[in-house]
Amino acid sequence: MPTLELVGVSSGYGGKPVLHDITFKAQESAIYVVLGPNGAGKTTLFRTIAGILEPYSGEVLFDGEDLTRSKEARNRINYLSHYNAIPEEMTVRGALDFYARIEGGNADEVLSLLSLGELEDKKVSDLSQGQKKRVSIAKVFLRERDLYLLDEPTSNLDPAVSKEIRDILLGLSKDRIVLYSSHNLYEARDVGTNLILVRDGEIGYFDKISNIKSKEYRVGIRTTTDISKMIDAKLGEGGYYVLSVSTPEEAGLALKKLVENGVLVTEMRQLDNPLQDLFEDNYDQHPAKTERRVVKPS
Amino acid sequence: MSSGQGTIIAKRSISLSKTYLVVGILMALLGVLISSLSGVTGNLSTTGIPVNATGARSLDLTTALPLVSVALQVFAAIIFSIPVLMLYVYDKNNGVLEYFLSLGMNQGDVYRQYLKAALILSSGLVGFEVIINVVAGLITGVSGLMLLEVSGLVVALALPVVSFDALIMMSFSSLQKQRVGSNQPLGMAIGVLMVMPAYIAPLAVPSLALAIDLLLAGVIVVLSLLMYLSSSRLISREKLLP
Repeated sequence: MPTLELVGVSSGYGGKPVLHDITFKAQESAIYVVLGPNGAGKTTLFRTIAGILEPYSGEVLFDGEDLTRSKEARNRINYLSHYNAIPEEMTVRGALDFYARIEGGNADEVLSLLSLGELEDKKVSDLSQGQKKRVSIAKVFLRERDLYLLDEPTSNLDPAVSKEIRDILLGLSKDRIVLYSSHNLYEARDVGTNLILVRDGEIGYFDKISNIKSKEYRVGIRTTTDISKMIDAKLGEGGYYVLSVSTPEEAGLALKKLVENGVLVTEMRQLDNPLQDLFEDNYDQHPAKTERRVVKPS
Repeated sequence: MSSGQGTIIAKRSISLSKTYLVVGILMALLGVLISSLSGVTGNLSTTGIPVNATGARSLDLTTALPLVSVALQVFAAIIFSIPVLMLYVYDKNNGVLEYFLSLGMNQGDVYRQYLKAALILSSGLVGFEVIINVVAGLITGVSGLMLLEVSGLVVALALPVVSFDALIMMSFSSLQKQRVGSNQPLGMAIGVLMVMPAYIAPLAVPSLALAIDLLLAGVIVVLSLLMYLSSSRLISREKLLP
């Protein structure tokens, strides 16, 4: 299994650090969602891991090899910037052939993988933003690597294509490490198994998403029966009966009670995203902040 | 990046802007025309014209015109290579250079490919200039020695000047505080200034013009090498980011 390890990494631009003493160790094949507000240092983190920025201090190790110094180690990485990095004067096929000549791989395969066949003879400059993004993503899949760094890969993409990309990444993550940044908290929850929260250039949280504890769970229950007298739920947003509980188990007990009373429940879902608290301003009061679930390498 | 990438970058540059190529060719033809005029003036037995009221010194057009044309032909080569530098800025702003860095290249690797592309383009024009110079010179009766001198000087000056100019344009573009990279015309201005002695010498000090041109070529070769060797150390990778 590949291992990505950052030890005391500080990095930035023009001598001014953006990342401060970053330490974590990703040692299981999974999708690690990188979250953080604008300017938190997500892109700087990706650039530093990719070896584009040289850290001011600390080490970035991939399977024990220093990524800043070893070209071989860097050659095991695929990086998708949030800039498209596609020569716009070329056709889609020409651009993918251009990169295939530089880094290897087969343009035909990625044209097919991302359903770009219809666009292959079009100039990149004539494409929509979403189509350009697809071409940009296609170049990342030209060759298989061990570590994928994807900076907002699904921005500008329609839901269907976003899902295609997520499915490809889920497949890749079975035996590779994928770092994936997104501003879409629902997408992050759906696709990621682990969370790296970046705040003010520091790691605010590093652990499995399933370990995130919410202060409160709001559960929406859809049913044709008035259940407000059976459980402490009121009809609210989106036609759901909204139930507030402090643990997921309490929601399960409420559901059991409804079923025992013969109520037909057609839908039950968590209304809030556990990542929301982490991401928003109330982060400082969140249990994750005080627990500092950051895995320090031994 | 493989050795063929310089050629790909050169081709991409051509597709990015053809105007500079047209202007470069026209300027080269103008240079060849001026050089060939020396043959015409020689045939007309016009050995010189007075340059001051006393007539103490005269200008030998058969020598001066070909040497002035050298500077013009070198300038044409600079213009011919500009699309590569435009592409460099375009690739920088579009994230292509960042992607190259993520593939394991360093800033020196990136500079080398764009420099190679600039030299590929300008070599094409310089080759064209040499051929046209010889053909036009033979038709108009320019001496064989002068044809050899002009062709040799065009090659000796143009390629170092284009190298220096390409490197300095990339450096100015990368070092600009604001990241748009639009400072590259400064590099071109410096390149043109460096060729200035080659314009002036044949008119001001005709007897030393050849030596000045050769000295200039040597100095620019040394500067280009220093610039190339130091650019990776002086300019950090982050300067190639959009």
